[in-house]
Amino acid sequence: MSPSFFHHLHPPTIPKPQARFSHTLGAGGLAVFLSLTLLVTGALEMFYYVPTPDGAAESVQMLTFLVPYGGLVRNLHFWAAQGLLIVSIIHMVRVLLTGGYAAPRRFNYWLGLGLLALIIFLDFSGYVLRWDEGIRWALVAGTNLIKAIPGIGPGAYRILMGGDAPGPAALVRFYAWHIFGLILLFIIVGVWHIFRVRRDGGIAAPPPKLRQNRERLPRNELVRIEVVAMIVATAVLILISTFFPAPIGPAMSETAPPTAEARAPWFFLWVQQLLKNGDAFFWGVLIPLAVLGLLAALPLIRPSLAPEEIGSWLPKSGRVVQIATLGIILTLLILTLL
Amino acid sequence: MKRTLAALFLLLAVLTAVWANGRPPAPIPLTPTLTGETEYCLTCHNDLPDISAAHPTAVFGCVRCHGGERLALDADLAHSSMRGGANPSDLAVVEPSCGGSDCHSGAVSADRDHIQRVQTSIQATYAGAIAAVRYAFGVQPDPAAQLGAFAVQDTETNTGVPYLDPFNPAQETHPSILKFSQNCLNCHLSADPLPGGEYDRFTGCAACHTPTQNRAPDQLTHTLTTAIPYTQCNTCHNRGNYSLRDMAFHPRTDEANGRLQDYYQPIGQFTQCEWTLDCIDCHTRSEAMGDGDIHSSQADIQYVQCRTCHGTINEPPLTKTITDPNDIALRLAALNPVIDLQVGDTILVTEQGEPMWNIRQLDDGSLQLTGKVTELTLPFSRVMDTACEQNPDEQESHFCHECHAVEH
Repeated sequence: MSPSFFHHLHPPTIPKPQARFSHTLGAGGLAVFLSLTLLVTGALEMFYYVPTPDGAAESVQMLTFLVPYGGLVRNLHFWAAQGLLIVSIIHMVRVLLTGGYAAPRRFNYWLGLGLLALIIFLDFSGYVLRWDEGIRWALVAGTNLIKAIPGIGPGAYRILMGGDAPGPAALVRFYAWHIFGLILLFIIVGVWHIFRVRRDGGIAAPPPKLRQNRERLPRNELVRIEVVAMIVATAVLILISTFFPAPIGPAMSETAPPTAEARAPWFFLWVQQLLKNGDAFFWGVLIPLAVLGLLAALPLIRPSLAPEEIGSWLPKSGRVVQIATLGIILTLLILTLL
Repeated sequence: MKRTLAALFLLLAVLTAVWANGRPPAPIPLTPTLTGETEYCLTCHNDLPDISAAHPTAVFGCVRCHGGERLALDADLAHSSMRGGANPSDLAVVEPSCGGSDCHSGAVSADRDHIQRVQTSIQATYAGAIAAVRYAFGVQPDPAAQLGAFAVQDTETNTGVPYLDPFNPAQETHPSILKFSQNCLNCHLSADPLPGGEYDRFTGCAACHTPTQNRAPDQLTHTLTTAIPYTQCNTCHNRGNYSLRDMAFHPRTDEANGRLQDYYQPIGQFTQCEWTLDCIDCHTRSEAMGDGDIHSSQADIQYVQCRTCHGTINEPPLTKTITDPNDIALRLAALNPVIDLQVGDTILVTEQGEPMWNIRQLDDGSLQLTGKVTELTLPFSRVMDTACEQNPDEQESHFCHECHAVEH
């Protein structure tokens, strides 16, 4: 069988130990799959979505309840988005715990971190597009954080929102960012990230001489495994989307008191928790940026690892990074669950 | 093998999705002519009757009055933004629900100012009871109303009460007023009724216009009517007494078995005509729903007496012959078509000019009342030219009851 386009996206062979699910957790591949799912379901949603304050929530309800399989498409988009964020974090943690961040892959780690930030912004902007009572508090509180930045805050807020309060301009801007601006960046950085995976020599593994298991997996088999994984992932996603509908609320109303509780989307709950400490700029902007900075700095703590330890779980030479990683993740998890 | 299993799993998932998608009932659209916006409430509520002949579902739909999410097929979401829960006529939400210049908050001249009138009415403000009790315990210097069940304004006052501040128990110190606030605020239009079927009523407009008596528990009631039976009035009135001594409500203890005993509570005095009739056969819209002014007492607004229909020994009751096809009397008769009122008919009018549209003076000069609820046709006589010797200046009903009360 001559290799197809999809085969050519892969190297001819890859080291077998590092190709195992127990090593990769399938997270990078799942992220690609979920991104593609999001592109397709998002494109379908665009046929119905109306980005105006009066029309948005109604069009979401129309899509959810009245368009044949519209609810399923919306649920798939929602769960793929939540899944993408989760598998991206798992992917990052996996890379940090297996030493995949070490040279020459440091730059690609930062690209990946950039993708994670983009995914969070994509999640938030998509969440806001519901424009219903369920998102009102988070929209107001979240965007007010920008206002809290000393000096440039008010100006940045107007650039983001197109006015002094959430209104038609803000919705169109969130829409434009969500379906084009952020997607463009996501595709560019995403393709770059994948390109760098191959350029940096594929999944991190010890130099050939130091490998105990020198078996290699040919791309025919790899693609076959990926297809099976994709089929299973599709089925799981469909089942989740069938039984767990995406959140939806009554249309946003300026006059009615908020019907929903003041609650950020789950991926910003840790920021909401931090904000209880007081100053919005410090706790809501500086600390989250510091977390991102800390994550970016992790590869600098231990720029290179013992070569024989690369490509295996919890290499001894990467202890500090591993402890820091788990510390950050645990802290964020606790803040989220509090 | 793995591939086959994966493919089967995907097939199963797709079939499950198809099955789940086909499960909910097929959406039933309705595009009310008034709003032109399609709504899907009938998907579940197709069995509800039109709430009244004046509000056909095909014209109004559901959302115009009830609010709610018109496109949502999920019950929780669809109901989440409904006004006033199941009762959009609650006074807190009545303006967006029932208001509008073509509906019930229009011009006074068009007799469409129902909401403004109700909100200033004594039944809504409870200002009379609040003022009387505060005056009785020396908390305010005179019985003129200062406080109401909620804040309300009357920009063109004829009664000298331009506004009421909300009655706030937290600002009261007198123990009796505090007890009053705990025990005696169950009967204004915004108050939830006391527990018990005999008190069962909604709040707001529906307190009167949606009869709830003798309905099964949990039964949905989707009715608006101007034919309000006395039993609905009795969910608040004639249920017992508020005692100034212990500031508590004492329910009546007699067991009514029939209209005669049920109509008024035992201390009441009444004639047969009164308990044969319903309250609304005599008492007018402005008495019950207010006249747009804030009043300090029920006595200020209630004016219909026996003489309104029967006249005095010197004067016949006031009459009016309908000439305008848009006369309010014709509109009222059309809403509750117990009689076929026409232009050219002569009806009684009250001292304040309100039409007693269900009481006609026939061509032979005789008077005939049609029960607004019972639809009974009841001929009756004037006082003039009878043996009655009642002084024309003493015409409150208790004077008439001296001779005409029913023993009970």
